[in-house]
Amino acid sequence: MKLLTIELKKVLTYKTFWIIIGLYFLFLGLGIVMAEFIVNAMVDDVNKRLPIPLPHAVLFNFPDIWQNLTFFASIRFVLIFPAILIIILITNEFTNKTVRQNIVNGMSRSEFIFSKLQLVFMFAVVITFILTLVMFILGLIHSDSQSLSMIFNRFSFVFGFFIQMITYLCYAFFVAFLLRNTGLAIALFTLYTIIIEPVIYFFLRAPFMWENKVYTYLPVNAVIRIVEYPAIPALKKLMNFQLQDEVTLLSCAIPVIYSMVMIGIVYWTFNKRDL
Amino acid sequence: METILSIHQLSKRYGRIQAVNQLSLEVGKGQVFGILGPNGSGKTTTLGMVLDLVQPDIGSFEWFGETPTKESRKRIGAVIETPNFFPYLSARKNLEVVAKIKDYDYSDIDRSLQLTGLYDRRNDKFKTYSFGMKQRLAVASAMLNQPEVMILDEPTNGLDPQGIAQVRELIKKIAREGITIILASHLLDEVQKICNHVAVLNKGNILFSGEVHEVLAVSDSFELKANDPAALKAAITEHPAFRSVTESDGILLAVFAELVTPGEINDYMQQKKITLFHLAERKRTLEQHFLELLKDDPS
Repeated sequence: MKLLTIELKKVLTYKTFWIIIGLYFLFLGLGIVMAEFIVNAMVDDVNKRLPIPLPHAVLFNFPDIWQNLTFFASIRFVLIFPAILIIILITNEFTNKTVRQNIVNGMSRSEFIFSKLQLVFMFAVVITFILTLVMFILGLIHSDSQSLSMIFNRFSFVFGFFIQMITYLCYAFFVAFLLRNTGLAIALFTLYTIIIEPVIYFFLRAPFMWENKVYTYLPVNAVIRIVEYPAIPALKKLMNFQLQDEVTLLSCAIPVIYSMVMIGIVYWTFNKRDL
Repeated sequence: METILSIHQLSKRYGRIQAVNQLSLEVGKGQVFGILGPNGSGKTTTLGMVLDLVQPDIGSFEWFGETPTKESRKRIGAVIETPNFFPYLSARKNLEVVAKIKDYDYSDIDRSLQLTGLYDRRNDKFKTYSFGMKQRLAVASAMLNQPEVMILDEPTNGLDPQGIAQVRELIKKIAREGITIILASHLLDEVQKICNHVAVLNKGNILFSGEVHEVLAVSDSFELKANDPAALKAAITEHPAFRSVTESDGILLAVFAELVTPGEINDYMQQKKITLFHLAERKRTLEQHFLELLKDDPS
């Protein structure tokens, strides 16, 4: 608790923190509001050319809402906001040299690492909690049937989202500790997530490689695939989606293993390095 | 005497440069211990090692007679090179972080802010502070809850004359409270004014160490030689300003408590019917030695 209190002291009065968190929830909110319009505009567009029109998508009813909103909340461009924030908060300690002062004042190096992991954990918990609350309220408003079994059917997507959040933030934690420089870390992390990995993915997925599915082991891709598709039947037909009923533990295992290896590397190098 | 810090054969190499070379020293309780040397002589690296910022290649050190842990660092107040704080936090909040890490409550924060003259600006962000104020906040954070020992690395570096005077006054005030102080500096004058013990460092080696008045304030020490060493020694001991005498290779090194000129020594020895065939003031050689060290140093 002591370490978390220290972290909160450092974070809560930091203006940049509130700006990025604000932008994140703004984007997320806009995405949620517009998702249904965008999807249905696509359906309408396709329906003009189809003899039997596809039904309109309903995003916000139980239990589909869990899958739909966690899907939209975990696309790369949205997921990257809290990750960048973690990078800023960690690299700040190096650029302000406050990490040195923390150690001198009697924090052990492991405690320093642990305090940042607590921050990662807290971010994941709070964001998942807020999103869950929003989904719950939206679901109640949009669903006719409100039996408990109906509501909490497919709740595993919330758990999946939590794993997505915490593992992706662990990647950010790793990059921040390794590079220590705010600009460089953000640039590389963003570039990797948005461009480098999708390009690698594209080549690995080329037809001749189709069978071995190596691409599913790319770190960011593994995170994204935990909630792989939204529960929208129309889109399923349009884009050749497969059905995803639940979040599988197997899909969670890959990013969790990546994260644990990264934490291990940070622990090992940070304890040996000169500050 | 109780030992606060003892360092044994500590070494650190950065690539081709031996930053610290088999350095050993002891700091006793209540001492104001100066580590004097030009920039790049290994002062900060040495302090970095004893504060767990830098991993030593070989060697060891003990704080308070124990193997060092994070708990021993909580008993130390340290200012390393530049004041390191969160720019967007106020002075008070920054000190709250420090207090929290050290497991203190916040009750001593106001006192240390008052002592360093920052109390009126306590709620202003760190980044709005002048350099002198930042440096004083660093001292304030180091002196939170009366640490047993304070480490100050170049505490007056970059300050204007007024700031230098303020910080030095503050250090003296802390020393009078009986807190052990370890002060690293490249300024001979600063160490002379503040410290009572000193180790002079160059290129990672200790050149000499001891009490300041013996090592640095040597304007009152002389090398003497006469054909009857025993009579010479007796005569020196009888001198009214006598402090100490040591012998090496037939040459006596006499230290006097107050300023004595070579002429006065000569007259005194003639009165005692001793003919000196060697008389040399040690002042020049030592100070020149130190100045030569500093000459290599661009700052």
